[in-house]
Amino acid sequence: MATTLTPPDSDQTSVPPAKLPPGLETNAEKAESRRGFLIGLPAYAYLVLFFALPLAIVVVYSFATRSTTGLTVLADWNLQSYARLTDSLVVAITWRSLWIATLTTVVSLVVAYPFAYYIATRTPRVRAALLVLVMIPFWSNFLVRTFAWRLLLSSDGPVTRILETLGFANPRLLFTPSAVIIGLVYGYLPFMILPLYASLERMDHSLVEAARDLYATGWEAFRKVTWPLSKPGVIAGSILVFIPSFGAFVTPEVLGGTGTTMLGSYIGRQFVGTASDWPFGAALSVAILFVMMLAAMFYFRSGGKDL
Amino acid sequence: MSIVDTGDSTAAVVQDSVARPRRTVDRVLAGNAWLVFLFLYLPILVLIVLSFNDNDRVGVWTEFSVRWYGEMFENSRIMGALRTSILVAVLSTAVSTVLGTAAALSLERFRYRSQRAFDGLLYLPVIIPDITMAVMLLLFFVQAFDIVLLVTGVGLSRGLGTITLAHIAFNISFVALVVRARLSGLDASLEEAAADLYASRWQAFRRVTLPLIAPGVAGGALLALTLSLDDVVIAEFVSGAGTTTLPVYVFGALRRGVSPLINAVSVLMLVGSILLVVGSLAISRRRTGG
Amino acid sequence: MIEERDVTDLQTAVEPTAPATTDAAVSLHGVTKRFPGGKGSEPVVAVDAIDLNIADGEFFSLLGPSGCGKTTTLRMIAGFEYPSAGSIRIFDEEVGLKPPNKRPVNTVFQSYALFPHMTVAQNIAFGLEMKDVGRDETARRVAEVIELVQLEGRENRKPKQLSGGQQQRVALARALVNRPKVLLLDEPLGALDLKLRQTMQIELKQMQEKVGITFVYVTHDQEEALTMSDRIAVMESGHLLQVGPPEEIYDRPRTRFVADFIGETNLLDATIRDHGIAELRDGTQVRLDSHEPAGTAVTLAVRPEKLGLVRADADRNHDLDAVHGTVARATFMGNAIAYEVRIDGGSEPFPVEIRQGNAPGIEHFAVGEQVRVRWSPSSASVLED
Repeated sequence: MATTLTPPDSDQTSVPPAKLPPGLETNAEKAESRRGFLIGLPAYAYLVLFFALPLAIVVVYSFATRSTTGLTVLADWNLQSYARLTDSLVVAITWRSLWIATLTTVVSLVVAYPFAYYIATRTPRVRAALLVLVMIPFWSNFLVRTFAWRLLLSSDGPVTRILETLGFANPRLLFTPSAVIIGLVYGYLPFMILPLYASLERMDHSLVEAARDLYATGWEAFRKVTWPLSKPGVIAGSILVFIPSFGAFVTPEVLGGTGTTMLGSYIGRQFVGTASDWPFGAALSVAILFVMMLAAMFYFRSGGKDL
Repeated sequence: MSIVDTGDSTAAVVQDSVARPRRTVDRVLAGNAWLVFLFLYLPILVLIVLSFNDNDRVGVWTEFSVRWYGEMFENSRIMGALRTSILVAVLSTAVSTVLGTAAALSLERFRYRSQRAFDGLLYLPVIIPDITMAVMLLLFFVQAFDIVLLVTGVGLSRGLGTITLAHIAFNISFVALVVRARLSGLDASLEEAAADLYASRWQAFRRVTLPLIAPGVAGGALLALTLSLDDVVIAEFVSGAGTTTLPVYVFGALRRGVSPLINAVSVLMLVGSILLVVGSLAISRRRTGG
Repeated sequence: MIEERDVTDLQTAVEPTAPATTDAAVSLHGVTKRFPGGKGSEPVVAVDAIDLNIADGEFFSLLGPSGCGKTTTLRMIAGFEYPSAGSIRIFDEEVGLKPPNKRPVNTVFQSYALFPHMTVAQNIAFGLEMKDVGRDETARRVAEVIELVQLEGRENRKPKQLSGGQQQRVALARALVNRPKVLLLDEPLGALDLKLRQTMQIELKQMQEKVGITFVYVTHDQEEALTMSDRIAVMESGHLLQVGPPEEIYDRPRTRFVADFIGETNLLDATIRDHGIAELRDGTQVRLDSHEPAGTAVTLAVRPEKLGLVRADADRNHDLDAVHGTVARATFMGNAIAYEVRIDGGSEPFPVEIRQGNAPGIEHFAVGEQVRVRWSPSSASVLED
C-alpha cells in the first residue's frame, strides 16, 4: 500500500534494496531547507567575503617574503616567518603576555567570585539594580575607561599621591606591568562577574542547607557544594577574561611602557612604520589565532555554551 | 576569633551558632561589593572631574571650567571624527541587525546540510582577538584594492567605507548570537499555531515571530552600536589617512601624550554610551512594565 | 512561492494512485513517517503504514504511550509534518503535502501556543484576520465563540493573566472560531490539574456535540480517551493496534498491549483443549468464546472487577469458571478492596488481582484464606499475541 503511493517519478527500481525509497516529503523538506539556507545566505556570503577570505589572505601572507624596503613580496613562499616565532624576543613577549593574562584572570576571579556571590544572594529587586550598576561601566567606551586609569596612575595622579602619603617612596605605577594588569582587570571584570553570577544564581540554595544539615561547616559546604556547582561559571569567566587579555592591544599601548609590550601590540607594530614586516605579522596573527581556538574549544568542551 | 567565642559562653548560647559566622561572612561580602563598585566607578568619576579642570596639566587642579569642552566643539578634526563614528555605527548596526537576525532565524528554525559550517563561521568573529581581525581586514583591503586598481584602474582608499564594512563583519555575529538566544527560548509551536491559523510564512514571521524576538533584535542592535563605537583596533588598521573615528583619534592623541582636551572628548564618549544604555533600559522597562 | 508549486506538482503525482472516494472526515491510507536517524543510522519509522477512517462528527481519540506515533500522526493531519508515504484526505481532498495554512483543520496545542503579545480577542481573531474575513464578521464570530467558551469580560487580557483552564479555553476558541472541518487536539488537558481536567473532559465532549465538528484527540491518558471518545485507536510503535468504540477496546482487547495499557488486567496463559475449552496452567479447565484449534497456546485477559471471589467451600456455580487460590494480600481502597490471590497448583503459582466492591453485604477475606476465583466465560478475552 505504502509503496504504491510513492510518486512514480521517484524511480524505485534504481534504489538499492537496503535503502528506503525517498519519501513523499523529500521535495517539500528540500524546499524548506533551501528556504532556510537562502535566509541565512546574505550573512554567510558577507562573512565568507569579509572574514573567511581575509583569514585566508593572512595565512597566504604568512608564507610570503619581506623585501629589503619593507614591502611584501607575494612570491618565494617560505616558512621563515614561522621560524622567527622562536626568536628570543618573541618568546619573551609571549611569556609576558601569558603571565599578564594569567595574573589578570586570577585577580579577576578572586575579586569577582565573592562579588558575584553577594549579588546572587540578594533579593531579586536588589539583584537587578546591582547588575545594572555592573553593566553601565561595561557598556561604556573601553578606550575611555582605560584612559581614565592613565589619569589615576600618572605621576601626579591621585593613586600615586595616596601611595606617597602612605609612605611609599617614589611609587611608579604607570607604564609598568602592574598598570597593564589593573587596566585589564578593570576592562574585563564584567566578563568574569556575569558567568559567575549566572551559575551561582541558578544554584539551588537548599543544597547548601542540605550540606549544613549533614553536619558540614560553612566552609566545608562552600568547598564541597557551592564551589563545584559554580565551576562552569569559573571556567567560562576565566576563559572570557583570558582570551582578550592575552591578545590585548589597547591596554598595553595606553598604560604600558617599553618593558610591557604584549603580543597584540607586537603584532600591530609589524604593520606600521618603516620597520614593518607583514609576513611576520601575519604569521604571529595565525599563531595567536591558533591559541585562541584552543582556548575556545576548551570553553565549549566544558559546557560554556550554556552560559 | 574562635577563642573569644568559646570564652564568652553566655553569648555563644544566646546567639545562633549558624547565624554568627554567616553575619561576618556577609559583612565581608558586602564590603568587597562596595570596593568593587568603587573600583568600577572611581576612574570614571575622576575622569569627569578632571575634564572640568582649567589647568593645562591634566593632574593639577586649578579651577572649574568648561574651556576644554568649548575647544572640543571648535576642533574640526574631533567633530569630523565624531561624525564618522556615528555614521559608521549607525550604518553597520542597520546592516548587521538585518543580516544577523536572518542568520539567527536560518540557524535556529531550519535544517540544512551546510549548517554546522555556517555555525562555526558565525562564531569565529566573536572569539577572534581584535588585533587578528584588524590584520586580516587590513591585508584584505590592501589586496582587494590592488586588484581593483589593476583591473579597473580605479584607485580606492581606506576610510569610512572600509571601517563600516569591517564593523559589519564582526557585528553580524554578535547580533546573531543575541537573537539566537531569544529565538531558542521561543516556543516553536507558536509559529506552528500561526500557520495552523492560515498565516503564510511571511505573515507568521511579521505577526508572531518578529514581535516576540523584538527585544532580542533590539538588544543585538544595541550591542552592535556599542561595539562599533567602542572599537579602536580594527578601525585604526582599516581607516585611511583622512577619515578616522573618534576612538582612533583619541588613541592617536594618547600616544602623543595626554591633554585635558582628550579628557573632554572622553567624557563626551562616556556620556554618549551611558545615555544609550540607560535609554534602552528605560525603554525596555516601560515596555515590560506597561 | 517556489516550493508551493513543488508541492502541487507532487500532489498531482499522488492523485492517480490515491484510494477511492470515501465519506470520511479524515482518511489515512498507508501513511508512513520516517525521521532521519542519527549519523549513519537507519531512519526512525515513527508511523508505519497506517490506514484509518474517521467519520464526520466523530470524537476520535488516538491513544498510546509517548513515542507511539500518535502526535506525529496528528501533526501530519495538521500539516506540521509531511508524510513519507501514503495519502491523507480531509473530506476527500488530498492534503498530505499542503502547508498547514492551506488545510481546513485547526489545532489546539498541548502548550496552547497562545500568542503572548496579543490579547485574548486578538488571539481568537488571528485566523479570521489571516483569512480576510471582514471586520464586522470577525467581531461577531469572536464574540460568539467567547460566549461559547465562557470567557466574557476577559477579551482584553493577555494570556499570561489567565489561569491554565482559561488559557485552554482561549486555545479552543481560537481554533473553533474558524469553523474548521476537523479540530485537532494534542493532549490539550495535559497541563491541567486532575479536578479541572475532569471538568474539562465533560465540557469538551459537550462542546463537540454542540458544534458538531469532528474532533481528533491525542492523549496518553486511557481514562480520558474512554470517557470522551466515540471511537479510540490504540497505537504502539507506529502501528495501529486496535480501533473501536471505548466499550470494545476495554472489554475486548485484542492484544496483550491493549489489554495492559487500558486499565488493569489479569493475563492467564492457557492451552486450547477442545472446542471452547481451555486449560490453565494449574490444570483448571475453563470455557471461552474462541474458535482456536486444540493445542494452541493462548492468553486470556480478565479485568480485575470482572472477577468474583468466594470461599473455597462455597457452593459451586456452574455458570462460572473458577480456580482455587490463597489470598496473598488485601488492600483497602475505600470504595473497593483489591485482593491479590495466588493460584494453587500448577508448575508455578501466579497472582491474580481482584477488585471487590465494599458494600455492606459483601464478604471480606483475610490474608491466607482459601478462596475460589470465578468469572463468566464472556468476560475473558482471548488475545491474539
